[in-house]
Amino acid sequence: MTRFTTLLTALAVLFGLAASAPAQDRARAKEVVVAFAAEPRTLLPNTIVDWTTNSQIEHIYDRLVDRDPKTYKPMPMLATGWKIVNDTTWEFALRQGVKFHNGEPFNAQSVKATMDYIKDPANKTHYLPRWSQVKEIQIVNDYTVRFITEKPWPGLLDRISESTDFLPMPPKALKDQGPQALLAKPVGTGPFKFVQWVRDERLVLERNPDYWQGAPELNRVTFRYIPEFSARLSALLAGEIDIMKDVPPHAVEMVDRSGKGKVRATVSSRINYLALVNLKPGPLQDVRVRKAIGHSVNVDELIQQVLKGRASKMCGPLSPLNVDYTPGIECLKHDLSRAQALFKEAGVDPTKLQLTLDTPSGRYPLDKDISLAIAAQLQRVGIKTNVVVNEWGTHLDKIKNRTTGDMFYLGWGPALSAQNTIEQLFQASQTYSSYGGNKVIDAKIAQAVTIVDPKKRLEAWADLQRVVQDEAPWVFLWQQHDLYGVASWVEWNPRADEKVWMYEAKLAR
Amino acid sequence: MRRFIGRHGRGVLGLIIAALVLVAAVAAPLLVAQDPLQSDFAVGLKPPGTPGHPLGTDQLGRDLLARVLYGARVAHFIGLCCVLLTAVVGGLAGLLAGYYEGWLGAVVMRVADVQLSFPFILLALTINAIVGLGLRNIIVSLSVAGWVVYARVVRGEVLSVKEREFVHAARALGLGRARLLLRHILPNVAPSIVIVGSLQFAQFIVAEAAISFLGFGVQPPTPAWGSMLSESRDYLYVAWWLAAFPGAALAVTALGINLVGDWLRDVLDPKFRV
Amino acid sequence: MRAYLLSRLGQTVLVVFLSLTAVFFLMRLGGDPVLLFLPMDIQAKDLTEFRQRLGFNDPVAIQYGRFIGRAIGGDFGESLRYKQDALGLVLERLPATLYLAVAALGLTFLVAVPVGVLSAVRRGSLFDVFGMGAAVLGQAVPGFWLGLMLIYLFSVKLGWLPTGGTGSARHFVMPCVVLASFYAARMARLTRSSVLDTLNEEFVLTARAKGLAEWVVIAKHALKNSAIPIVTLAGLDTGQLLGGAVITETIFAWPGLGRLTVQALLNRDFPVVLAAVFIFSVTYTLINLVVDLLYGWLDPRTRARAHA
Repeated sequence: MTRFTTLLTALAVLFGLAASAPAQDRARAKEVVVAFAAEPRTLLPNTIVDWTTNSQIEHIYDRLVDRDPKTYKPMPMLATGWKIVNDTTWEFALRQGVKFHNGEPFNAQSVKATMDYIKDPANKTHYLPRWSQVKEIQIVNDYTVRFITEKPWPGLLDRISESTDFLPMPPKALKDQGPQALLAKPVGTGPFKFVQWVRDERLVLERNPDYWQGAPELNRVTFRYIPEFSARLSALLAGEIDIMKDVPPHAVEMVDRSGKGKVRATVSSRINYLALVNLKPGPLQDVRVRKAIGHSVNVDELIQQVLKGRASKMCGPLSPLNVDYTPGIECLKHDLSRAQALFKEAGVDPTKLQLTLDTPSGRYPLDKDISLAIAAQLQRVGIKTNVVVNEWGTHLDKIKNRTTGDMFYLGWGPALSAQNTIEQLFQASQTYSSYGGNKVIDAKIAQAVTIVDPKKRLEAWADLQRVVQDEAPWVFLWQQHDLYGVASWVEWNPRADEKVWMYEAKLAR
Repeated sequence: MRRFIGRHGRGVLGLIIAALVLVAAVAAPLLVAQDPLQSDFAVGLKPPGTPGHPLGTDQLGRDLLARVLYGARVAHFIGLCCVLLTAVVGGLAGLLAGYYEGWLGAVVMRVADVQLSFPFILLALTINAIVGLGLRNIIVSLSVAGWVVYARVVRGEVLSVKEREFVHAARALGLGRARLLLRHILPNVAPSIVIVGSLQFAQFIVAEAAISFLGFGVQPPTPAWGSMLSESRDYLYVAWWLAAFPGAALAVTALGINLVGDWLRDVLDPKFRV
Repeated sequence: MRAYLLSRLGQTVLVVFLSLTAVFFLMRLGGDPVLLFLPMDIQAKDLTEFRQRLGFNDPVAIQYGRFIGRAIGGDFGESLRYKQDALGLVLERLPATLYLAVAALGLTFLVAVPVGVLSAVRRGSLFDVFGMGAAVLGQAVPGFWLGLMLIYLFSVKLGWLPTGGTGSARHFVMPCVVLASFYAARMARLTRSSVLDTLNEEFVLTARAKGLAEWVVIAKHALKNSAIPIVTLAGLDTGQLLGGAVITETIFAWPGLGRLTVQALLNRDFPVVLAAVFIFSVTYTLINLVVDLLYGWLDPRTRARAHA
């Protein structure tokens, strides 16, 4: 868009009469307004890894393979079936009769063109490293494709269904007009068509009546961008918006009582944890000290008092929502005498211990408050903890450069597969890991990722789960609960994989 | 009597308020038994009037009255440090720029321009990278942002004082430049430094709130009105007292100090213009 | 006159250049530029590759040279966050901020100057006390607090005004009030003290002695002479309004430049920050120039001196 036309549009918008319609009008017109804190970073799919961006893009583009909203196991979407042909080949059968919004048919060409787009370094997509193991895409026929990999990659199915890692794009439009055209006017196979994007203000989508799963119930979806949390909440209470994420636990009752909406909760796959750093010399390099700290923290009290019960306690590195999870791990009990015994055994006097805890602020639900609460709990055994609050960028920098204190607070998600969790967080070579240098674990991980047989894979990850938990690299905390404020007239339930999809939204009866 | 109130009434009122706030800051431990840093999540978010917590508690169960009173200490600390730093640096810069006009003056003013033309939060962010979040960051950031006002004001004053007769006379008598600066010009410029300082004091305390809003506030659990106000945003609908009392403390303190500043200006230099 | 203008324009270019340079190097202190744009499961080698491709592994001096070379041609690079032309992004957001700034400045003058003048003329009266009391409060209350209170009252409780965004004249009301509150308060106090000073000057007494009507005395003589400090402050304020509307824009979801800049800074989006600083610098120094020219018109005595 030329700058002049942008200026004109800005003027038109500012002085136009497009004020927001009140809730009843929206209900009648079947228009829903979703509030996010930030606008999408791009409207090109397969380009930037960012939850906010992709949540919006997913209304226009479909996934090749989706996740079942209840079991979170891979579910057919634009691909109807898949099988492993040989060690380095996955074959996918594609859905027939699907059209892009511009009339182009969806077929094998689209899949190949999409992978070409991702792997072209000129496009600088974030997904390039994620697909580096794929050598090429073979077109068997119009509705069958083969992914050829360099080495055996049994995790390919997890990757393709992880979230928005593969959203097919229209091949002809991509070739004739190039990606920039798709940025200006996105064209996908999804349930909603692009109408308008007013930068940093709103994104407007309309119903796609020819959607292959059946047209959505809603006529229009508008995304509004309100960066300030209390302003978002005010907008919900004023009836200006219909859906917002991250209502804090203490505000739930108030929203429910307001009559404007209800809070709908779901247990998220995103996990929060307190990392006990063993990557630099210090008392935390001794596993007994780490275990003692684990016994000193009262996770139940944190969940009850600070989060008002809105979190699901975890005992190991994987949550029950993780497909590779195996139950049977025992939690580290809150036991102060056991903690003291372990400290003694390790030759450490907790009353002389001075630790530093790095935490972000506002990135995860009540992260700062939890960190302060943990410090208060550690005080009960005499440990003095200095809580350092970091601005988010600084926090990530510190973790990457290994310049954090002895402990840091972090979250990870969507944590739906073991490879994307354990492999990333327990090896010294990984960017955001807090733990490493354990050759046994490194070897086991290297082995586990290559196993093709699903039963053997599960066993390998179950073993790793136990081994990791034994090492007490974290104080295992919980799975977040995602609390969404939803207007009374909308019937929509949040998902654990954090997918916010208005196709699933209906009018409340 | 009437005339006294008319002329000095505001100043007296301001002094009373400022004195009360100062007393609260100094005598905080005597006025309240609770520890402002002690958290007890079992009593989190309790409203004013709860036994033991006349103003209520915050999200971690810390007593709000204690935090407001101890917050006065932090406010005074920030105000004082910032005013001292900016007065010294800005005053010096202004003196030199005004007196030695020419290229030195131009350089100082251009540096000020350059600094003013990039966003304040950049300063805070950069300083954050060097000293981390917390009181140090706030004081340094605000001081760096604030010296320019002094420099401008002092320079303007020096420029006009320079033209006065007694300065010409002194020069004619052969007085050296340094002595001229110190003995004759500085005393005449001093009142404006004091006036600006008193007005800036309140500004710095209020600016701490803006810095906290942007995410560069004090480190917990230090109580500071600005960061308490900033944190209260998340609890606006469930705990109004978290915003009301620190906000009132901030407003009242700023009011008092501003009144004192205005009065000082009337008394010290009626012809003074910012 | 022409020589003066040329010299000032030259100084403008110098200031802009220095600002960009200072910001360029300062930002490097703030942390890894690439880390925040990549997903958290990025591998170390991919991280290095991204940095390489974006040119961040080269020595700083070379990066700087490259930046200046392109900047002269108006190319500030591509935003790391949005993958879009940085300067284009900044210019897209500029109008929104400008409208808000102009409206707030207008409101400021509309309210502050009359209040200040009246307070000065009716010194010591109830109006003066309340007016100045309100002014002090206006400077004492943090903007975000005022904004949230207004939203609570007028949007949630009364439903009269929207909580934020743009789209109609009603969307302007609260952001303008919040933005103007601080500056109007300051301006009112300054106007009052400035007018008070002038009212005692000789030429005013002379005008009164000549039998001119009071309001003529005020409007024609007092105001024009007390205008200098007012104009100075207005100049400073305009510059700050453009850059300092961050808090207002964030609270009211106003799609302006202040918000974009803050986001870019927190996200270490170098190209956008530099493009924004460029626009601020240019605007600010140009405003200064206009203010100084106004000085010359308002007070012939200063026309001779080249004011900074």
